[in-house]
Amino acid sequence: MTLLSAFGLILVTVIYLLPVGYMLLTSVKSSLEIAVNPLGLPHTLNFENYIDVFNRMNYLRAVLNTVFITAVSSIGIVLVSALAAYPLARVQTRWSSAVYQYFSFGLMIPSFVVIIPLYSLMRSVGLLNTYAGLILIYIAFNIPFAVFFFTSFIRSLPKELEEAGLIDGCTPITVFWYIVLPLLRPVIGTVTMFITLSIWNDFLLPLVFLFDANSRTIMVNVYSFLGYYGFNPTTLFPAAVLGSLPLLIFFFFLQRQIIAGITAGSVKG
Amino acid sequence: MRMRPQTALLFLAPALLLYSLIVIYPTLNGLYLSLTNSTGSARGAIFIGLTNYERMVHDVSGFLKPLGTTLIYAALVTVGQTVIGLGLALWMGQLPRLRDAARVALFTPGMLSLIIVGFVWSFIYNPLSGGLNLLLTSVGLESWTRSWLGEPGFALPAVALVNIWMYAGHSAAIFLANYLSIPSELLESATLEGASVWQRFLYIEFPLLAPALTINTALTLIGGLRVFELPFVMTRGGPGDATRVLNLEIFNQAFGQGNYGYGSALTVALLLIILTLTLVQNTYLRSRELNT
Repeated sequence: MTLLSAFGLILVTVIYLLPVGYMLLTSVKSSLEIAVNPLGLPHTLNFENYIDVFNRMNYLRAVLNTVFITAVSSIGIVLVSALAAYPLARVQTRWSSAVYQYFSFGLMIPSFVVIIPLYSLMRSVGLLNTYAGLILIYIAFNIPFAVFFFTSFIRSLPKELEEAGLIDGCTPITVFWYIVLPLLRPVIGTVTMFITLSIWNDFLLPLVFLFDANSRTIMVNVYSFLGYYGFNPTTLFPAAVLGSLPLLIFFFFLQRQIIAGITAGSVKG
Repeated sequence: MRMRPQTALLFLAPALLLYSLIVIYPTLNGLYLSLTNSTGSARGAIFIGLTNYERMVHDVSGFLKPLGTTLIYAALVTVGQTVIGLGLALWMGQLPRLRDAARVALFTPGMLSLIIVGFVWSFIYNPLSGGLNLLLTSVGLESWTRSWLGEPGFALPAVALVNIWMYAGHSAAIFLANYLSIPSELLESATLEGASVWQRFLYIEFPLLAPALTINTALTLIGGLRVFELPFVMTRGGPGDATRVLNLEIFNQAFGQGNYGYGSALTVALLLIILTLTLVQNTYLRSRELNT
């Protein structure tokens, strides 16, 4: 009975992953083989389509753009939010909880509400279609969730280290930099992981705020490339694999942390 | 700990400044824009009060129909993803050895981007060379083949199915985490007392999974109401207006036609609908949690 159930679960999981397999297998078929043998395993591995798409799509440039934007945004989000979380976690007054409420309000605002007025704002200050503009937007949009994470983590840390630091003549800034920030390392990892996942796959914000052909991020690049050639399977599938690969590798190595991070907290209450 | 207010403000300043300028100010500005006839031009907008909202409640093609489509889509996704996620989680719960591998495998589609999944599934649904029709034909179900995204009755469920496929693994992981926190004595004693699998599910597992049910339906409902990328890539709202959800209409109003005022009013309406529905859903499911 258990054996039958186990076999059934394996079968369902395989069927579930069929579209992913279809994408991978079709991506290494020549156009002739796609026509003759659309569903079966490829007889020969054909990587010409990959090379062709890699060059025509300007793939490397788009990946570097995305990595750059993700890296700078992550550093910005972590620094700005950890700085803000420190007094919010350590000072218990009416205004500090009011500021905390003010930040958590941002968790509820859908990006569509912000985008239309933000587009005009960015255009009028000359930040439309610049890396800096998109990075500032990513930092600001992620402040609510990062402040929320950092505040609850700092609250769980003992205060004694910071107090000892202050007695020894540190200023609050040096206490933050040399004592608090290093202790935040695990939660910085979680926050950075979430940011990487969301920025890599994000489409709407770079579509609206960074559309220049050379500075495009990967998903906007895939979209505009496939918008022209999307009906041709020999371009569609290699482009789809190339667009997904970096994040799939990332997921493969960090699967435990990613699943735990997305699942955790949701069922504690 | 003591910290002078000036020092605290120094720590808070960068976050407050960025957040206020880039999130809060545009949100308030959007509320104001929704009361104007702004088209984004330099000549400025005229304040027209609630005219946009009055127009909206009579606007069948630009608001009421897309709203209905969005609600149907959200309902399909919420029900489908919750039922499939629950089923998969219970199945994985019975098989400790397969659990971790199956969870990772089922989670994978949700790691892909909506854009890429949208393109790949558009091809799978393609009536001529797409994988789905070829698969149906090869197993003798040729009569089932159709233009999945080309027929008005099938396009919306077809897009919803892709959404469910991507994120049912997320729902399953959340249900599973909850399931594994149920004390095993409870399940064992039920089996010893002679409860059938169905009775065990109905009277023990399902009630104890209430917290996961609340969070899962909340997440899928909000996600379903905010749908944009999949229909944007797969159908562009077509055929006809069969998959034209609210966010597509908003995007078109604002960035296609430059109607910032009316577009903003639509976003505010969507925000209010999301807030109302999640509030109702949460109140109902939370009270259910307390009763069980």
